[in-house]
Amino acid sequence: MIERLRSYGIVAVFCVLFLLLAITSRSFFSFANAANIMDQSAILLIFAATTTILIVAGVFDLSIAAVATASAILTVIAVNVLGPVAGVLAGIAFGALLGLVTGLAITATGVNSFIGTLAASFTYRGLGLILASGGLVTIESQAAAEALQRISVGTYLGLKGIVWIALAFVLVMEVLLAFTIFGRMVYAVGGNRRAAFLAGIRTKRVLVACYTLSGLGAGVAGVLYVAQYGSGATNAYSDTFAFTAIAATVVGGVSIFGGSGSVWRGSLGILTFALIGNGLNLLGVDTTYQLTILGLLIFLAVAADQVFRRSERV
Amino acid sequence: MVGETSSRVASVGGAMSAPDPVVRARNIVKSFGATRAVRGVSLDIPAGAIVGLVGENGAGKSTLARVIAGVHAPDEGDVSIAGRVRHLRDPHEGLKAGVSLMAQEISLVPEATAEENVLLGNLPRRGPFLDRGAMRRHYRELAELTQFDIDPDAPVSRLRVADQQKVEIMRALSQEALLVVMDEPSAALTVDQVERLHHSIREMSRRGTAVLLISHFLEEVLELTSHVAIMRDGELVRQGPTAEETVETLVAAMVGKALATEYHERKEQATGPVRLSVRGLSRPGVLRDVSLDVRSGEILGLAGLIGAGRTEIARCIYGADPRSAGEVTVDGVAANASHPAEAIAAGIFMVPESRKEQGLIAGSSITDNVTLATLGAYSRGGWLDRGAMDARARRLAEEVDLRFQSVSQHVGTLSGGNQQKLLFARAREVQPRVLIVDEPTRGVDIAAKRAIHAKLAELAAEGMAILFISSEIEEILGVCSRVLVIHRGQVHGEFRAPYRQQDVIAAFFGQHLAAI
Repeated sequence: MIERLRSYGIVAVFCVLFLLLAITSRSFFSFANAANIMDQSAILLIFAATTTILIVAGVFDLSIAAVATASAILTVIAVNVLGPVAGVLAGIAFGALLGLVTGLAITATGVNSFIGTLAASFTYRGLGLILASGGLVTIESQAAAEALQRISVGTYLGLKGIVWIALAFVLVMEVLLAFTIFGRMVYAVGGNRRAAFLAGIRTKRVLVACYTLSGLGAGVAGVLYVAQYGSGATNAYSDTFAFTAIAATVVGGVSIFGGSGSVWRGSLGILTFALIGNGLNLLGVDTTYQLTILGLLIFLAVAADQVFRRSERV
Repeated sequence: MVGETSSRVASVGGAMSAPDPVVRARNIVKSFGATRAVRGVSLDIPAGAIVGLVGENGAGKSTLARVIAGVHAPDEGDVSIAGRVRHLRDPHEGLKAGVSLMAQEISLVPEATAEENVLLGNLPRRGPFLDRGAMRRHYRELAELTQFDIDPDAPVSRLRVADQQKVEIMRALSQEALLVVMDEPSAALTVDQVERLHHSIREMSRRGTAVLLISHFLEEVLELTSHVAIMRDGELVRQGPTAEETVETLVAAMVGKALATEYHERKEQATGPVRLSVRGLSRPGVLRDVSLDVRSGEILGLAGLIGAGRTEIARCIYGADPRSAGEVTVDGVAANASHPAEAIAAGIFMVPESRKEQGLIAGSSITDNVTLATLGAYSRGGWLDRGAMDARARRLAEEVDLRFQSVSQHVGTLSGGNQQKLLFARAREVQPRVLIVDEPTRGVDIAAKRAIHAKLAELAAEGMAILFISSEIEEILGVCSRVLVIHRGQVHGEFRAPYRQQDVIAAFFGQHLAAI
């Protein structure tokens, strides 16, 4: 009973919140508003998907926002040199490469992932500054910029391109974690790294693959920034994105200790945050208070989880 | 004289002891869950005496010592120190009452300096401030007295173990402890360091501090102590003057009950071809030149004291720890694994020593745990065939007689014995040619234990070569027809059924008993 409550508590919270808003606010229950929520959440859905995989594996990646920023800048440079298609691919590959480097460095040295990726985050932000020569880089070809913008901001079946791309990315990550051999290994490494090692799983390779995926996701986020704005800036994504992704994952019910959870939970966490923000807006709550309220709600969710955990042990 | 009328407690020293022991433990009983570690032991320690405490693995020596030092409160009985009954609640109170414990694991503050650690309990003050000058004077006095030469400003974490022990000894002296309890102080020391440790133990005794010395090194006990107490299965076998004991008498007293009849003694030796062959396996500071062979159908026992190197041998063979030298072959083919994955590919599988920490993923299902080492077999182009996994897990779980409701059940909800059976199901799934099992029956009930022994015999009968590690001597002699005793990282002796238990135990302690 308690187990089920803990597992599906977030689903209940989401539904209750949804109904509450639908009843109290006339403008909430409309396709336009839903599309708006999805649009605002698209990038965070990508970040939360890879963050979930890493937390399931028992590690954190605080560098994703910095990687995404560096990728955005590299994408612009690459598009200017190689054209839009090769440029976009280069941007994504660059993100994955940075993730790979982080993963290799952390697994080779055994540095704690929290500190290791925090250091990586400074490093990659600095790298972005160097690539951008300290400022803003812009796509030179008007045609390329417009093509990218058409794909990302143009609407298909009522939703913007970035929303479809984000949903596709989340789906791929969900499948990867839930239905593949790699996914089982991620759960095993996060659940008990020593047991996984002694069962013959190459735990370090699994972790490096996780960091690389995280970088890949950040690369996609970087490309999407460029596609929307036609430029890459050194402040494209603030580190708040990384923290929000972690918070949403935990609120979604993914264990912070690793070994359990699903990608959809991270997504649901993000959408819950969006609902709260959207609801507070529609209900006319002053934006000054919104962040405080959100913070308290996150704490409440995690505290409730902790209490359930404790009663489970007895 | 010694005609104390009321004393029903046997005094360790008998006629030689002073009338008032400095520490007197009476009828101590201490249990941990269902395990009765100490069962009504009385022990007197005369002032200034060096008293040895010996016994096999799990005899209850450390528990008794910890009760005396205040680490554990006894369930029954009491400890009096300097004539007063004390109810110590923690080692800090023990220190204040005059009992200092040097545990198997060092109990110093690692980041503080040697001087600070020595004087930690009673730092000299001047008003609210530390009196650094007085500290240094006090430290110098102690250093001169003990002739220890340790830099007072060196952080303890940077000292070698031998020097850390010296710091503990100086601390005990500085607190003017009445009794210092030492649990295996020489286990981590080199020969010349042991000599210096002995010197300082004698020095403490000369200054009136009694020492209770727990040691696996029987010669050390015979050489150093004036009295010795022998424990077995939580009870005191005998206590008396050391002068009346020899290695043989000590070992004889430590030997437990005769081989229980629950084991059908396997007398016949395995005759199959050699499956696992290990030659010259070494790991600096841990293993030296270990060679062994295990035949098809054989269960070879690795016996020895805890920390002797049995698990380390297993981990090196399995590729879980690095080795500096050594060759491993399986059926004549090189199997020098540097990762468990390579060992598994070469036909070796290990069931590790602690189920929870190293064996299972508690939050995952039975299916996921059974198939953990063989995920590749359920891959259809990287996709998992969950149906096949569940079916296989269910079949294996039934085969090893696992008590479960559903294969999607979390393994954390299973009992210890069932968790161990689950690891056997995983071993079954891997189908290795060589199986290493490390302490598979620790903490499981007798029924599960029997089931595990039967499972091992069954696997061996199918032709597997099994390397079996256990700290329980009756078990290992009962299950195996051949046993290697490991002592200080080396193979110290080979024994074949029928066994003389005292010979095997003597080998545990690095001794060879003269053949009768």
